[in-house]
Amino acid sequence: MRTRKNKGAYYVVSLIILIILALLFLFPLYWIVTGAFKTGAEINSVTPVWWPTEWVTNNFEKLFSKRSAPLFEIGSLTGPVVPGAIRWLVNTVFMAVVAMVLTCITASMAGYALAKKRFTGRHILFTLIVCAMALPKQVILIPLIREMSTLGLYDKIWAVIFPTVGWPFGVFLMKQFSEGVPGEILEAARIDGASEARTFSSIVVPIIKPGIGALAIFTFINSWNDYFMQLIMLSSSSKLTISLGIATMQAENSTDFGIIMAGAALAALPIIIVFLIFQKYFTQGITMGAVKG
Amino acid sequence: MATLQLKNIKKIYEGGVEAVHSFNLDIADKEFIVLVGPSGCGKSTTLRMIAGLEEISEGELYIGDKLVNEVEPKDRDIAMVFQSYALYPYMTVYENMSFALKLRHLPKDEIDQRVRWAAEVLDITKYLDRKPKALSGGQRQRVAIGRAIVREPKVFLMDEPLSNLDAKLRNQMRAEIIKLRKKVNTTFIYVTHDQTEAMTLGDRIVIMKDGWIMQIGTPQEVFDHPANIFVAGFIGMPQMNFFDGELAKNGEKYQLTVNGCPVEIGESLQQALKEKDVPSKKVIVGCRPEHIELSSADNALKATVDVSEMMGSEIHLHLNCEGKDIVIRVPSTKLSAEHRGGFEFGTDLKFAFPADLIHLFDPETENNLI
Amino acid sequence: MKQTNKPSMSRVLRRRETFSAYLFLLPSLIFFIGFVIIPMVLCLYTSFFDSKLNANTPDVFVGFANYVELWRDPVFKKALVNTLVIVVVSVPTVAAFSLWVASAIYKMKDWMLSAFRCIFYLPVVTGSVAVTVVWKWMYNNYYGIFNYVLKGVGAIDNNINWLGNPSTALWCIIIILFTTSVGQPIVLYVSALGNVDASLVEAANVDGANNLQSFWKVKWPSIMPTTLYIIVITTINSFQCFALIQLLTSGGPNNATQTVMYYIYYTAFKLYRFGYGNAMGIILAIFIAVLSAFQFWLAKEK
Repeated sequence: MRTRKNKGAYYVVSLIILIILALLFLFPLYWIVTGAFKTGAEINSVTPVWWPTEWVTNNFEKLFSKRSAPLFEIGSLTGPVVPGAIRWLVNTVFMAVVAMVLTCITASMAGYALAKKRFTGRHILFTLIVCAMALPKQVILIPLIREMSTLGLYDKIWAVIFPTVGWPFGVFLMKQFSEGVPGEILEAARIDGASEARTFSSIVVPIIKPGIGALAIFTFINSWNDYFMQLIMLSSSSKLTISLGIATMQAENSTDFGIIMAGAALAALPIIIVFLIFQKYFTQGITMGAVKG
Repeated sequence: MATLQLKNIKKIYEGGVEAVHSFNLDIADKEFIVLVGPSGCGKSTTLRMIAGLEEISEGELYIGDKLVNEVEPKDRDIAMVFQSYALYPYMTVYENMSFALKLRHLPKDEIDQRVRWAAEVLDITKYLDRKPKALSGGQRQRVAIGRAIVREPKVFLMDEPLSNLDAKLRNQMRAEIIKLRKKVNTTFIYVTHDQTEAMTLGDRIVIMKDGWIMQIGTPQEVFDHPANIFVAGFIGMPQMNFFDGELAKNGEKYQLTVNGCPVEIGESLQQALKEKDVPSKKVIVGCRPEHIELSSADNALKATVDVSEMMGSEIHLHLNCEGKDIVIRVPSTKLSAEHRGGFEFGTDLKFAFPADLIHLFDPETENNLI
Repeated sequence: MKQTNKPSMSRVLRRRETFSAYLFLLPSLIFFIGFVIIPMVLCLYTSFFDSKLNANTPDVFVGFANYVELWRDPVFKKALVNTLVIVVVSVPTVAAFSLWVASAIYKMKDWMLSAFRCIFYLPVVTGSVAVTVVWKWMYNNYYGIFNYVLKGVGAIDNNINWLGNPSTALWCIIIILFTTSVGQPIVLYVSALGNVDASLVEAANVDGANNLQSFWKVKWPSIMPTTLYIIVITTINSFQCFALIQLLTSGGPNNATQTVMYYIYYTAFKLYRFGYGNAMGIILAIFIAVLSAFQFWLAKEK
């Protein structure tokens, strides 16, 4: 009896602490969203305004006031001129989606081969991948910038996309998922006469679909938020991503927190929504991607 | 025509471990061959080499007259049923069964016809639209077999197909396989660790141990004349009993003693020993539990009862015979009313070997003396 | 070795398998080698040159001069010390905090579990830039909420310029880094704790172990691999802490928040000393490699 009572008390106390912590963790986000809708006076008030007395949109109006870039540029085709922030969003979505699709395709193929095929060089390759994962990603970005200049990709969104695709985490994750494909099923397919490509597309892909989902959402979020890479590879204002755009803005006028919060909300909310929708896959991806002792 | 010929086939893994040593076997058309042995004996490896899933390290494999060592599995005209069934999880039963045919670009109506025929044979027509997840173990097993028979292969390979089923279902499926064989009428190679399956299904049985073939023969042959102690012990339930004995050649006659008691040797065995000119020596005497008889003769062997198991129509007696554990099977009809329910622990009994049903093995080579 | 003139079957099939495996690997390998391996090699190579970011000026081979200079560079030493402080403070706190949160929530009802897991993960998803700018506002000398609250509760008398003060700036960074680091470990711990064999825990309880004992004797050893992984990734993350510094303090005041990663960036992109920056990158990589290897070794010993 006694222990049960203690346990109950412990549970209540830890729940209270957890709720307080959760509120603290939520606060920055709350501050971004409310800040985006506050008036200048409320933002710069010495006494913080916890809840906007009046929800105003002029921070967003300021953010969107300058129409400075075409919506898109594909070759010589250009879209209508829109505010810079909108273009940044378009860039970011394009970057994240392309990186996601390319990563999912290449990594699921490679992960499958690493997990299920016995080939010369397999161990070396796998060791290389694990080692590469443990090294700081940023270190390679500096030499990468020269490589991109040589390839004529500097200040192009591809300069951000390609290294994201090359990062071996995806291959590692998909290898973990592909380990779960029973060998006998692949052998059955071989006896049935399925080609390698057919085996992969009709039999392996359906089995590892949850893994591909996890990798997709993982890559999307990481690529959206990979500020350092974007900072180094992109420079002209129409090429920026939303994160990079906000960072540039805050470097230019660091005191107008209203407009910066509006930008931050614009950068954060889409990705948070994506995260909340695909949360389950995401959690699974993190768990499967962990190197087991 | 689907004869198979395995010539000196070897499997040597990287690092030099030899899993299968010089496997030689000729399989006739439409024969049912069972490879049987304890786990790790190389039976599955051999089957997988026939399927083309494992490389043949040395030797030659012919299917029909064609050397197929380097032929892809799909071109060997074989079908295989796996232990785990290996159904494609995201395809329906129909799709599972038609997959191979689709890949061979057969006309749609022929595919349909074959799948429905196989489903009919296996009684799974009503599950054709289900996914494997929604099926029981026995049903999955049928689908796996169905997937193989729609191919109408020359050779049908089965790798422990029943070992994931519970005992009752296993007996039922065993009977189904015998029926199936009559319907599809092709060459079967069947791998199992279960000697009952081997005995009931096989035209011929290949008994393997540690990568070596111990004996090849019909169920009758391996049962009546095991080539060595291993086969003698492996085939038959409960196991054959073994005793140390002394074989003495006395003029024209051989005499055998076990634990100091004389054991009679039957006429045919006498003849065989004479032909082989076996000298006097120590031997291992084997006798199956069902052949040993309780006796009241003076010179019979003595033993005490350890455990008496009432099995219904017969009693299994675990006896202690001078420190050795032996088992004998006694039909209850042969017992007096008082003993029909079994024997008390510690009861002293005497037993004898029937003259024609003993096996003599060389203690050194472990081979049958005859 | 005996040679037979016909090719052994195993070679042929093996070659076929290898060929198809590499076809599957090819697309991935193009990106991996092109944009990860080659830059890594380039990084090592260029670290022996006096190299400008501008491709027009030719590189001059200087041998180990960059490394020697690093050895003498007081700013690099300061950056290294700061980085180590960040790692030493944040790794244990992150691991302990996330283990506590995970063990408090992993048995909760599903919706509560995922709600908490989500909330603690949010700062990661929000993105370093959005997180950093709002914290910058919260730390602000005049309008920041920190000064207001702390004055309100009487902890401080006057406004503190949190980011401008060498004695507080690094701690401000560490706090933000902490909030963006615990999300992943919590997810990992929750799943690891969920996977602990329940019968082991029950057996321990039957044997009379109390909760704390059963935690240390049963759960802790089974989640050890996860702990190790968390330590390694948190270490790597802490080493790579960049956006916070670049956006909040640019390494200031007076190099109080200078870290290796930021200094690399600064050297390469503000001073345009490419080779020197790469030498730092190599040192950083070696540091992380040695540390990770050490952590793995430590875990194996246990």
